[in-house]
Amino acid sequence: MKKLLALALAAVMVFCLAACGGSGSSAPAASTPAASTPAASTPAAPAEGGEDILIGCLQDITGATSALGMSVEAGAQAAVDDINAAGGINGRKVVMKTYDTKGDVTEAVNAYITAVTVDNVSLIVGPPVANIANAIKETSESYDVPVMGFALDPTCQLKEDGTPYKNMFCFQPSATTQGQIMAAFAVKNGLKTFGIIYNQENAYSVSLLAPFTDELAKNNITVDDKLIVAYGAADTDYKTLLQPIVAAKVDAIYCPNYTQQLVAIVTAATELGYEGKIVCGLDAAPSFNTTYGGDCSNVYYINNINTDDPTTAEMAAAVEDKVSAVNKYFLGYDVIMIAKECIEKAGLEDPAALLSAIEGVKDFKGLTGSLTIDPKTHMPDGMGMFMYTYDNQTPVMLEEYAG
Amino acid sequence: MSLQILINGLATGSIYALIATGFALIFNVLKFSNFSHGATMTAAAFIAYFLVSSKGWGLVPTLLAAGAAGAGIALLGEFVGFRRILKNHSSATYFFVSSITLGTLYEGLVTIRVGSNFFNFPSFFQNPTINLGIVISTSDAIMFLISIVALLILGYVIQKTRLGRALRAVSFDRDTAQLMGIDSTRIIQLTFVISGILAGFAGVFLGIKYTLYPTLGSLVVKGFIASVIGGLGSLTGAIIGAFLLGVVETLLLSLLGSGYSTIATFAIMLVFLLLRPQGIAGSNVQEKA
Repeated sequence: MKKLLALALAAVMVFCLAACGGSGSSAPAASTPAASTPAASTPAAPAEGGEDILIGCLQDITGATSALGMSVEAGAQAAVDDINAAGGINGRKVVMKTYDTKGDVTEAVNAYITAVTVDNVSLIVGPPVANIANAIKETSESYDVPVMGFALDPTCQLKEDGTPYKNMFCFQPSATTQGQIMAAFAVKNGLKTFGIIYNQENAYSVSLLAPFTDELAKNNITVDDKLIVAYGAADTDYKTLLQPIVAAKVDAIYCPNYTQQLVAIVTAATELGYEGKIVCGLDAAPSFNTTYGGDCSNVYYINNINTDDPTTAEMAAAVEDKVSAVNKYFLGYDVIMIAKECIEKAGLEDPAALLSAIEGVKDFKGLTGSLTIDPKTHMPDGMGMFMYTYDNQTPVMLEEYAG
Repeated sequence: MSLQILINGLATGSIYALIATGFALIFNVLKFSNFSHGATMTAAAFIAYFLVSSKGWGLVPTLLAAGAAGAGIALLGEFVGFRRILKNHSSATYFFVSSITLGTLYEGLVTIRVGSNFFNFPSFFQNPTINLGIVISTSDAIMFLISIVALLILGYVIQKTRLGRALRAVSFDRDTAQLMGIDSTRIIQLTFVISGILAGFAGVFLGIKYTLYPTLGSLVVKGFIASVIGGLGSLTGAIIGAFLLGVVETLLLSLLGSGYSTIATFAIMLVFLLLRPQGIAGSNVQEKA
């Protein structure tokens, strides 16, 4: 009896392990060529009007930044649906397969390799998470599959010698642009003294630090080193970390962090009696306000979209109940539409032609503005952003900044 | 040390005390470190969040729900994970393995239900700060007071009631206590219930302080450190160790900044293990696992 029980338990365990296997979160409906695509070879391209076009979507679906990943995925899928409803690309249906990075660099690299070698995707919609993009950038050099992502840290796209990784692209303004805009806005609004709290283990957070302080320096404002506070993933006691900044009674705290940390930091600052402004990056855009739950009137943040524009506002209203981060949804939508334009122009037969088409994107009119890719940096050239605040919990667009 | 840092440290220490006491209670009775305690905290806090606080019912109903959920989960854990091992007088290693397995199971169930997203308890207080010359966070003050009251009630129950005497008897010698007419199984169940209630409270407080996420229970390691510093198995030691850890951690973070403070905290624990392995209060128990 005991042996039977042991055998039954072993069988259940084997079944569970088998059920847990696989990294893709959805099965591709497309027939996909099986050949791998190392650098020397080219992806097997289906004939025009023939097989479906398979696009990979490499996002954090279940990790710490899943709210961002799922929003990009939803936007990209909406664009795929619109394209297919209009007849596809050159008569071919588009199919998107999502790969879950789980917010983990190892999972991300494994998922990337599966996408380009096993599923043989034509291109990948990359994540809005710099740590993940940094993890795959070197591996991506061995293949000929573009990664059309949103990692605003320039090191995700550029090598140390200043030349771009051939497959890595970013489709939102870089950290340099965003940091400069936030600093310029702060100075313009009369903020003169600053404290900074940033995550020293996060590429996104680190990449936004220097552009901000450099722009302040151009305006003769320096931030005291004692008021630049770094923290790590293990840190949770933000009150103690913020203590010197709050005690210094600065006009503003610059806080380029992910939403979860922002919520905890804004809560801690409020509970310490801080009454100044808090200047945040993209992750203070909704749903920060509803998650925080309190009055966010002292928070300034940068955003990709202008909700004062009636068309944008209408689209945002249509999706805000379905996704956590509307701006990421719009980015996902735009990047698929850019991919469509590039595939229509260059086809899929020659990877170099497709990469060249992406490098040559010019004046693309998307939901997040007009976009031109700089072939020297693989990042947008001159793309604007918008500064917002909240009236209690309602987002208020304040000013548009050119890139 | 500024008064503000001391206040931050005491507030943090009071939550560590809740964790450490729940941890120490189980160690006291069953002589093993229950590593499912952290996941119990998380699961109880999430249950309270979804059933109560997200509906705007305030802090007290949230704590009651978390306490009840924690008690239920701990009781279930005792039955599923430990009862049979106890009755079979199995190797001590099984307690440890079972507690790790239960913790992973709870955390997995929470992740399946809520994903890896984080949640924020609604603001329970109209004024976020109390200004008494220095600024004190209302939530810190309330959490500190509730923790102290909960620990005082626990101390009274253990020292002054028949149940407490029975619990102490079982913790000294389970078999002899059984021979003396004490239903040791019931007492062990009661210990898990109390530990679960404390886990529920700690989970809510950690959620209020740091936001609520599926791996929040990993902070149980702070309770474990506090128990080691205080003396494994000693409730008084666990509480002293927890407050000491909270204050020292806050002070080190303030002086050394992020990174070094974590290293220093663990270094202090190592020093304690080297110089005084029995902890501050000392202990008369031998660990099973």
